[in-house]
Amino acid sequence: MGAHAHNEEVRKPKVKHDSPKRHVVAFIGSLVLTALAFIAVAYEVIPAGFTVPFIVILAFVQAFFQLFVWMHMDQKGHEYARISIFAGLFFILAAIIVFIFWVWV
Amino acid sequence: MATHHANAVLPDEPEKATLEGKNKILGFWLFLGGETVLFGSLFATFIALRDQVNGGPTSQQLFDMPLVAAATLILLTSSMTSVMATLALHKKNLKMIQVWLTITVLLGIGFLALEIYEFVHYVHEGHKISTSAFGSAFYTLVGFHGGHVAFGILWIILLQLSAVKKGLTVVTAPKFYLASLYWHFIDVVWVFIFTVVYLMGMIGGKVG
Repeated sequence: MGAHAHNEEVRKPKVKHDSPKRHVVAFIGSLVLTALAFIAVAYEVIPAGFTVPFIVILAFVQAFFQLFVWMHMDQKGHEYARISIFAGLFFILAAIIVFIFWVWV
Repeated sequence: MATHHANAVLPDEPEKATLEGKNKILGFWLFLGGETVLFGSLFATFIALRDQVNGGPTSQQLFDMPLVAAATLILLTSSMTSVMATLALHKKNLKMIQVWLTITVLLGIGFLALEIYEFVHYVHEGHKISTSAFGSAFYTLVGFHGGHVAFGILWIILLQLSAVKKGLTVVTAPKFYLASLYWHFIDVVWVFIFTVVYLMGMIGGKVG
């Protein structure tokens, strides 16, 4: 602490990108997406068969919102972050498809 | 070690100022990739087994929307407060980091309390981990997430305590950053839990 005023001027642009406003917008966006999903299920406002794909799409949109804004995956130097998350997602999708169609119960 | 350097002037984005800090962040993302697969396999198991109730209660009989909505709101807000802690970190303001992390921890404890209440309630309704394949898949997936929340709470509290002694340096900054990343990840997983487990579990009855 104490000496932090010093180099704030020197490399300001780098930190400026990370303004609180972006994160508040991401928060409000997440709230709206969450509310939409709950409303769609609670009030059955859209055709029943379409509700599941609709809320799953909402979940993916919200997840990417949070990954890219809150977890800074949109910033430079996050190539490996993207690779590891997308590789993980690839395995998940494969697992889900396999489990749905190939599990005998 | 570059510790003595920190006592002079803390650089911008102190979590990435040292090679060690950068490596920690890289390693943590690889860990999160692994966590994605871990939770993904639990999700796949749950999706495959969620209708196998074996005579026990079904998800439509159990799940209560206001409770899930409250838990979701609490966890989402805590994710927001932990990003505020990261912003305070970029402003090199240890006091605000501590304030935001304390709020995050309190919200996390609130979330866990709700989850424990929920599980106790389900057990009274006859929904146990050994009741059915649905029960096993449900408690494994949601319980694993709850375990991650509990671990995150402990981790952040320990970090906060050690920062009181060590202050904000290029050594402690990456730790705060990673704890915040972990907490966001927990929230991302919850987005899929409330969608796939709870909301889809509530729809099922109406359609079928």
